[in-house]
Amino acid sequence: MTNELLVDIDSVQVSVKLSRTRRLQIVDYASMQIRRGEMMGLIGESGSGKTMLCRGFIGTLERRDAYISGGKILFDGIDLAKAKSETWRAIRGKRIGYVPQSALAGPNPVLTIEAQLLETLKNDPKLDRQAARKRAMELLDIVQIRRPDIVMKQYPNQLSGGMKQRVMIACAIALQPELIVADEPTTGLDVTVQAEIMKLLKDIRSEFNTSIVLVSHDLPLINDVCDRITVMHAGATIETLPSSEIENSKHPYTIALYKSRIDLAPPRGELITIKGQPPAVGGWQEGCRFNQRCDFVTDACLVGPHPKYIQLSQDHQTACINHASISDKVGSR
Amino acid sequence: MTPRLEGKNISVTFGDIFRKVEAVKNVDVSLEPGQTIGIVGESGSGKSTLARVLAGIQVPTSGQVTYEGANIWQGKTSYPGQMRRKVQMVFQDPYGSLNPRMRAVHAVAEAVTFHQKVVGNDAKKIAFDLLDRMGITQKDALKLPRALSGGQRQRVSVARALSANPEVLIADEPTSAIDQSAQSQLLSLFSELIADGLSIILVSHDLGVIRYLTDRVYVMESGNFVEAGDTAQIFSNPQMEYTQKLISSIPGHITKSR
Repeated sequence: MTNELLVDIDSVQVSVKLSRTRRLQIVDYASMQIRRGEMMGLIGESGSGKTMLCRGFIGTLERRDAYISGGKILFDGIDLAKAKSETWRAIRGKRIGYVPQSALAGPNPVLTIEAQLLETLKNDPKLDRQAARKRAMELLDIVQIRRPDIVMKQYPNQLSGGMKQRVMIACAIALQPELIVADEPTTGLDVTVQAEIMKLLKDIRSEFNTSIVLVSHDLPLINDVCDRITVMHAGATIETLPSSEIENSKHPYTIALYKSRIDLAPPRGELITIKGQPPAVGGWQEGCRFNQRCDFVTDACLVGPHPKYIQLSQDHQTACINHASISDKVGSR
Repeated sequence: MTPRLEGKNISVTFGDIFRKVEAVKNVDVSLEPGQTIGIVGESGSGKSTLARVLAGIQVPTSGQVTYEGANIWQGKTSYPGQMRRKVQMVFQDPYGSLNPRMRAVHAVAEAVTFHQKVVGNDAKKIAFDLLDRMGITQKDALKLPRALSGGQRQRVSVARALSANPEVLIADEPTSAIDQSAQSQLLSLFSELIADGLSIILVSHDLGVIRYLTDRVYVMESGNFVEAGDTAQIFSNPQMEYTQKLISSIPGHITKSR
């Protein structure tokens, strides 16, 4: 992993069109830097905006009637927030690969696996049909599908959930992208299959030096496989930190998320829960959006806009204005 | 002591004579009063089918299920008469298991009316109380399911099941479709219910949840139990390769923190 920056997301806002005149901002402050060859975990509750942020950097927001309403997403120097469709055509699938959330509905049910892979591979002008077919076999081999010659001729309904997800990963890496966005790739799959898919992503990363953004709401999983973690809450990124430093988190939400890990609790002992529900999308109160659920809330948290990132060290940014005093209070609790 | 719920030699076979799938093969399972058991395994290992047999939804191909010594099947009906109230089930998908046109409190009041023969405002009052116990406020109780989060919907489902005052609650993957923070809220609720004397049969592939909640665990692989025993023992010293594989696939280090 080098320190070269691949993606620089700076104060990005995403809005949805509700009607001709009404707009709802669903992400209002997202900042994140991804280096080449880095595995970045993006974590947050349902509705925190993590999927919409991802759609922002694969350029499929319009399909949900949404658009980037502010900030910039620099991908290798190109501003994706303002990109035209020609720019997107050169990037999407070729330089940025996408593994969708629902593995089971991912592949087209009426196309064979071969047809799907060839569809992606025909975007590569260097490959003729023969070479593309050979490359498709290679790809299935990379994602560790046994007997690729048989699987090529099969339809998605003949494959298990884990195999379908492998095929989707094969499609995503087909043109050797520099960035792979994997949106909850293992939701709905078994723990054993999940472990295999994670190992596969790690192998791909180390073999091709690909950057990977892994979206999940499973903190132990993210913490296990990623280099750095970005936490989202109510439409804003609230902390970015190296996964090895998760215990030194300076944001109460990250701390609560970490402490609510079930494997840290004694059997049937007290589970630490985050009280209340996440605030409704768009219906955000003044001040820090976590202030209703926070144990360390002060008067300063209740007023003003949602706090922006404060740089703590090179790899660690947090959006908690009380970050300096948080760690002492956690210890004494 | 007679076990509260017991399954003997249960087999379930799907398909016809040409293509048979044995989902569950001759397994014995027993639940003592006040105990909580877990059934773990991968997709397709037969754990949900077994849970459905114990709940009386699925007819076993062979074997029998007894509740406090009495056979639960009488002809084609399972859990005849008052027995039905004793064993209740909560399903995996919180989005699909509630009527989308019914407000949470009405969904629960319906179950209250059915089980407790109370109608109208009295049923609604009991429903509000039940939902309150599940941590759902009066305001949220008047919402439609689509306005509730996954965790809240799952708690409404639990409230519906508890309206029958059951002694056994069978939960089929109750946490797999909801967020981590909602999961810990639901699990805290379950451990309170266990403390109040409810027995829970928990079906899950999430070993963290199993470790937290259960006394005994059955590990299932392709229709058989490969290992069964005290939860603490299985986690600290798994005997079978399959169990070891399951435990080592957990993100984080559960075994280390024990």
